[in-house]
This record gives sequence, structure tokens and C-alpha cells, in this order.
Amino acid sequence: MKLIELKQATKTFEDGRKTIEALKPTDFAVEAGEFVSIIGPSGSGKSTLLTIIGGLQTPSSGQVLINNDKFSELEEKDRAKKRFEEIGFILQASNLIPFLTVKDQLKLVNKIWNSTFDLSQAKNLLGELKIDDLIDKYPSDLSGGEKQRAAIARALYHDPSVILADEPTASLDTDRAFEVVDILSRETKKKNKATIMVTHDERLTEYCDSVYVMKDGILSKKS
Amino acid sequence: MFLAWREIRYSKTRFALIIGVVVLISYLVFFLTGLAYGLAQENRTSIDKWEADGIFLAEESNTNINMSMFPKDLLEEVNADETASLGVVSSVIEPNRETDEDAKVNATFFGISAEEFIMPDIIDGDAFGEDRQVVADRSLRDEDGYEVGDELSLSGMDLTLELVGFTEDSKFNVAPVLYTNHSTYQEIRASGFGQREDEIISAIVVRQENGDIEAVEQTTDELALYDIDEFINNLPGYNAQVLTFGLMIGFLVLIAAMIIGIFIYVLTLQKSSMLGVMKAQGISSAYIGRSVVGQTFILAAFGVLTGLILTLGTGLILPNAVPYMNNFIFLITITGLLISVAVTGAFFSVKTVVNIDPLEAID
Repeated sequence: MKLIELKQATKTFEDGRKTIEALKPTDFAVEAGEFVSIIGPSGSGKSTLLTIIGGLQTPSSGQVLINNDKFSELEEKDRAKKRFEEIGFILQASNLIPFLTVKDQLKLVNKIWNSTFDLSQAKNLLGELKIDDLIDKYPSDLSGGEKQRAAIARALYHDPSVILADEPTASLDTDRAFEVVDILSRETKKKNKATIMVTHDERLTEYCDSVYVMKDGILSKKS
Repeated sequence: MFLAWREIRYSKTRFALIIGVVVLISYLVFFLTGLAYGLAQENRTSIDKWEADGIFLAEESNTNINMSMFPKDLLEEVNADETASLGVVSSVIEPNRETDEDAKVNATFFGISAEEFIMPDIIDGDAFGEDRQVVADRSLRDEDGYEVGDELSLSGMDLTLELVGFTEDSKFNVAPVLYTNHSTYQEIRASGFGQREDEIISAIVVRQENGDIEAVEQTTDELALYDIDEFINNLPGYNAQVLTFGLMIGFLVLIAAMIIGIFIYVLTLQKSSMLGVMKAQGISSAYIGRSVVGQTFILAAFGVLTGLILTLGTGLILPNAVPYMNNFIFLITITGLLISVAVTGAFFSVKTVVNIDPLEAID
């Protein structure tokens, strides 16, 4: 099942009198249980692609479908709501809120949804990521690798269909980076998510099912 | 409120400092209100004590009771539910016995008839019976050390009065009131204006059912009837005091609210990259905005209530000479005003939250 699908999506920017094509017309899909990575030099447009898939901006033309829903055609407010339900973000500098403990990072989701917090469910998830002993720690007490694992827990906690990771290993040393990508890969399979990881580190792609290269706004599959 | 509380708990020092500033400002506002109200009351307690609806003054007196003077007979030209004759004169009194300090006090004499309704209740000693007996406001006892049985002499006059009792809440123009009968009043007043044939009074105080002073009849054009509130507002200096303090307090409330608003605004700007990440995740501006407003409410409520408690505490330990008085209607109004104006200020920060572009969290 295709959880992410781009149909002839483009993105153009006006820069003075010039028009820059950050994303040339692109067809692209990620299936459930598929772990895809996008590599490319900085400025190649891979972050633009990720933000378009994540609905932070809309394509200039074409469509983005998330879970078979015409995501890119929703109103901004509905898109934000859908994003919160369907997409888990893992960002470069971790998307953790500094004044919440690991437990409260997860609890926030329940607060926003007005649902009840299930401690054993949270502990199970953190256990899978081997950080269940850090449940009452603040992000500032965690190491870089622990932070990213907490961020993965946060992204998985509300059971989205799509995981978008933007340079999740940028602040980690090689061992930690491999560990984090390994976890991401295993969780993708186990929970049947469609995961896209944007990275500039080609060594990490060995965990991925397919690798795409972004260059000058053109996305092509690496064989 | 989840985020609001968690953040306050996490950054305790920062929020303690903000609350501290709010406490100090609200303390200042409340305390100043208490002083202003106390001072205003010292102008008028003796008048409020009458529970009167209107007052007749001499027509040409321009609402100034010190300039009002007319024969007591005019009492018969006035027809109200209840009437009371009143003579007012200022003087300086001093006890005849040896005292430690300079016990000269500016005071106002009220010449009244004991059987009329403006006769005060006695809280200590007895009511005046014979001529040259007086009943004084308790502040003379509490602040100036006067006692029942003291002989009082009046500056510039060869006249000795006997202090026979005390009453309370009797201040006029920030000076204590001494009540005496009409004939003693005539003697005191005569010193200034010379001996007169007929008894002179300053005012006729009236009560009328439902406060309807329109219904009061008069058959002389020498007197003018004023509503009691109008009379109070025209007491010398009273209005100027009330307006000055009122403006100061009003500005302080605004300044307090702006300070809280600015603090919250700066905090929101500082957090904007984190808020961008939250918005990128799909957390709505409405949720974040509610949290900002909730946090402001918590800070303002905590600060203002602490300021209020400090003020009430200070009120208890202040010496009697300080004209401080609590008025719970004012205190509650100012509490509500401070908190609601601060929360209104927080909406500027909400606007910032709405304008944060989640894209910047990714790039």
C-alpha cells in the first residue's frame, strides 16, 4: 500500500526576476513498511522535498497524497491537524521540548488529543528503543544518541503512518548514527510505516530498502 | 495548561523572577489604593457616619461649609423626614495636663443637638451632657494620647472644655472631630465672629425616605440643598486628592500589565524556534496560544494574589497614624483588572505564535 505518493509535484521560487525550480516535476511513492533514504548535497532540494511531503509547504503544481488522502489540497489548518495525526517528524537537532521529561513529551500527545496517557504503553515503546530508564529525564540530561532515540519514540508514539527524518544523525558519532538508523529501520518494518530519511551520509543507506539521489531539483533512484 | 505548568516548573528561577516583579508592582498598586482610600475616608468619615441624604448650607456659601452661617431658626423653614442642626468650626486643642510631647491637635468642632440623628455612638466614656463637655474621635486617644477626663484648652481662647467620651469614624478634612452641644459651639465660634444675638449654625443635615431629596421642602431662599455626595465631592481638596491617586493607580495598573505582557512576549520570542518545531509536528497555533495565555494567567494570578496578601499583612502592622484602609470592593476590582489586563497583553504573544513559520524549523 502506498502511504506516500507524489504526482507530478513541483516547487518553484521567485528570486528577484529569476524563477528557481527547487523541485522539478516528480513522481515518487513509498509503501508501508518501506524505508527510503534521500541523499544529495546541501542545497539540492532534499529538504524542500521533505517539507512538501510533510505539508509544511504546498507544491507549486501536482499533488501529495498521504495515506491516499489529497494532503496538499487541504487548508493549512486541516493540514496541520492531519500532519499531527499521520506524520512523525524526527529533526536534525531533535524535536524534543526542552522543559518536558521524556514521559511528558509523549503525554503531550494525549493532552492535545484529550485522551488518557497509558504509562505501560509509553514504557513499552521506550523499552523497544532501550531508553525506558530515562523516562523521567529532561532532554538536557540525555546524550545525543539518547535524544534522537527519544525523538524517534515521540515520532512513533502517536502511531502515524509516515515517518519523516531530516538528518537524524547529523549530531551523532558514527556508532550512534548507525544505531539510530538501525532502530529506525527496524521500527519501520515492525510497525509497517513508510519512512523517508534525508541524509548526506551515504554509509547509512545500507539499512534502507531503496535510495534516491536528489540533484538540482531532480529526484532519481540509485541503482 | 499542561505546557504552561511544565515550563514554569522547569524554569523555576526565571518565572520566580517574573512573578517577583508582578508581586512588587501589585503590592505597590494595592498599598497605594489602601492609602488613597484611607486618606479619602479621613476627609469624610464623619459625614458618612450621618447616613444622611442631603445637606442645607447658606445659599451664598458655594458648598463650603466653613463659609456657611445662618440662624438656627431657619430649621423651621425646612421640611424633611429627619433634620439635624450642625455647627462647624475649626480650632486647635491642647490638654491642660503635663504631656510628653507637643499634644496640640488641629480639630473640628461639631455643634449638635444630642437628640438629633447625627449624634454619634459613644465607645468609651459618656455622651456630653452639660455645657463645655465634648466627645472626641478615638484617634485623639489612639494617636495623641488624650484620655477621658482631660481638660482641654483652645488656642487663643480663654475656654476650658472637658473631654467626657470617645466615638469612632469621626474625621472631617483629615482632622478629628469633637462633638459638643450648641451652646458650647456658640462660645467657640463667637471667638471668631463676635458675640451674636441668635444662635448660629452652619448646616442642616437631612434624611429623606429613599434618598429622594427632591421631596424635601424649604420655605426660605437663604438656604440651598445639596446631595450629600455632591457635598463630599466639594470638600476642600477632596476631589483633587481622589483624582490624583485615581490616576496614579490607573497608570500603575496599565504599567503592571505592560510589564507582564512584555515579559511574556520576550519569552515567546526566545522560544520561537522551539515553537516552530512544535508547529512543524502539527501542534496547532491555537493549542500553543492557549498555553501562552494560560501561562500569563498563572503568572499574573500568582503575582497579584501574593501582592494582595502582602498588602493585607502590611495593613495589619501599620501604625495608626498612617491613613491606611482596606476597601474590599477596590481590592477585588484591582485584582481582576490587573489579571485581565495582563492576559489581554498576552494576546500580542499569541499573534507571534501564529506568525511563526514551521518551515524555519526544518531549514
